[in-house]
Amino acid sequence: MGASYQAVGWNRQKKLYDWLIFGFCSLYLATFIVLTAVFNPDYTFETVLIRSTSTLALLLLHIILSIGPLARINKKFLPLLYNRRHLGVTMFTIAAIHGGFSIFQFHALGNVGPLVSLFTSNTAYGSLADFPFQSLGFFALIIFFLMAATSHDFWLHNLSPKVWKALHMMVYFAYFLIIMHVMLGVIQYETNPVFVLILAVGSLTLIFLHLIAGTREVKKDNMKYDLKQDGFVMVCSVNEIEENRAKMFCIDKERIAVFKVEGKLFAINNVCKHQNGPLGEGKVVDGCITCPWHGYQYLPKNGQSPPPFKEKVSTYDVKVLKNNVWLNPIPYPEGTEREGANF
Amino acid sequence: MIKPLRKRHLQAWALLAMLLPLGIISAWLAIPKPVHNNLLQPPVGKALPVVVKTFKKTNYIVNLRSNADSSALQLEWINNTALTISSALIYQKFDADSSNDMHEADLIGRLDARGIFYFPLKNTHVYKKVHFIIYDIIHHQVIEQIDF
Repeated sequence: MGASYQAVGWNRQKKLYDWLIFGFCSLYLATFIVLTAVFNPDYTFETVLIRSTSTLALLLLHIILSIGPLARINKKFLPLLYNRRHLGVTMFTIAAIHGGFSIFQFHALGNVGPLVSLFTSNTAYGSLADFPFQSLGFFALIIFFLMAATSHDFWLHNLSPKVWKALHMMVYFAYFLIIMHVMLGVIQYETNPVFVLILAVGSLTLIFLHLIAGTREVKKDNMKYDLKQDGFVMVCSVNEIEENRAKMFCIDKERIAVFKVEGKLFAINNVCKHQNGPLGEGKVVDGCITCPWHGYQYLPKNGQSPPPFKEKVSTYDVKVLKNNVWLNPIPYPEGTEREGANF
Repeated sequence: MIKPLRKRHLQAWALLAMLLPLGIISAWLAIPKPVHNNLLQPPVGKALPVVVKTFKKTNYIVNLRSNADSSALQLEWINNTALTISSALIYQKFDADSSNDMHEADLIGRLDARGIFYFPLKNTHVYKKVHFIIYDIIHHQVIEQIDF
């Protein structure tokens, strides 16, 4: 949001986030290597590197995929959401190390090129026990690479939000590929059932979190408002909205955030222009509605970002009758100034 | 997040909620059961005290061992260096027939590339000429023949 372009807007929170990621990954890898040296001294360093990076990448993937629903369920997890892309890029880097060493260990120095060997050395696609699981991991890595390469806002703008989001939702398909890569790969050889159990618990936890959070959100979206008058819909009582905070309502196509600011109510579109963050979950800071995801700001009276910024969101009419808030779901053009409702 | 995207996320996870358990269970059921090799006698852990005969080569030493009263017989295989083959079988044939026909041979045990191995033998063979065949099971070829 700076007036002059910066590739990465480093701030204290980003730096802390990245240091925590670095510290966690280093600790994990060091612990894994030491424990392997103690309990399995026969393993070569390449094998240890392949196994340590694979398990770390899998763990990071589970953490990344849990952040979204956790932040929906409990706002305390929101700080993890802000720079989730840093975790994603880290996970890809570690997965790429795993993939690179695996391809070298198992497919290099042969009669054919390593990538040719990867796809031709085992073609038992009809068998589960002998399935060419490595190709599943390869395709998942391609998806993670595309996501990491386009993680910057530059690509969000240039690919268009629709294309960018479609690409990044492929993480779910990649997750399925990775689970099958593990189940049809190393699990076929490791006899200890603990590994299957850990994987199953991880997957079930993610399924549970996403279904819970998703169901709650869709339920909010489908809530019906029966009291209607002259195009306005009664949504809540004035007392239900905290000062400098909002409540969100989905009446038509999209959610509307109604903010209470200095004795007045203002209604704007809930979707932030930056990355579609939920403005209604933010708060008013220095007179501006502030998106909880990345701090983009909008003035309550007209939905415009304060100068020199140019983002705008739609505004709506809102009125108060007998302490009840009535909202007109028909949006004004983005940036239109509307009088707030006194109460 | 916008409303259609919320719906799409929920649909994606509803699908994963079916596919993931199905995939995990199918793969788990497909894990091959460990093959219990009933053909091979387990190697005996300790060497018998008496060395009856010895066969030496650069890479390995083979000893025929017995106990003091010759009631038990044992084949000891000592790898001096790693075998160039990853796995081999040892067969035994009686003195009348020194050919390499595996169908008429008794399977004694399996060798790995490194280590020391002990295989119990039937002691009625100890006074007859004993012919051992070392067979590479991967390349299907005889590697060595040892006559005692």
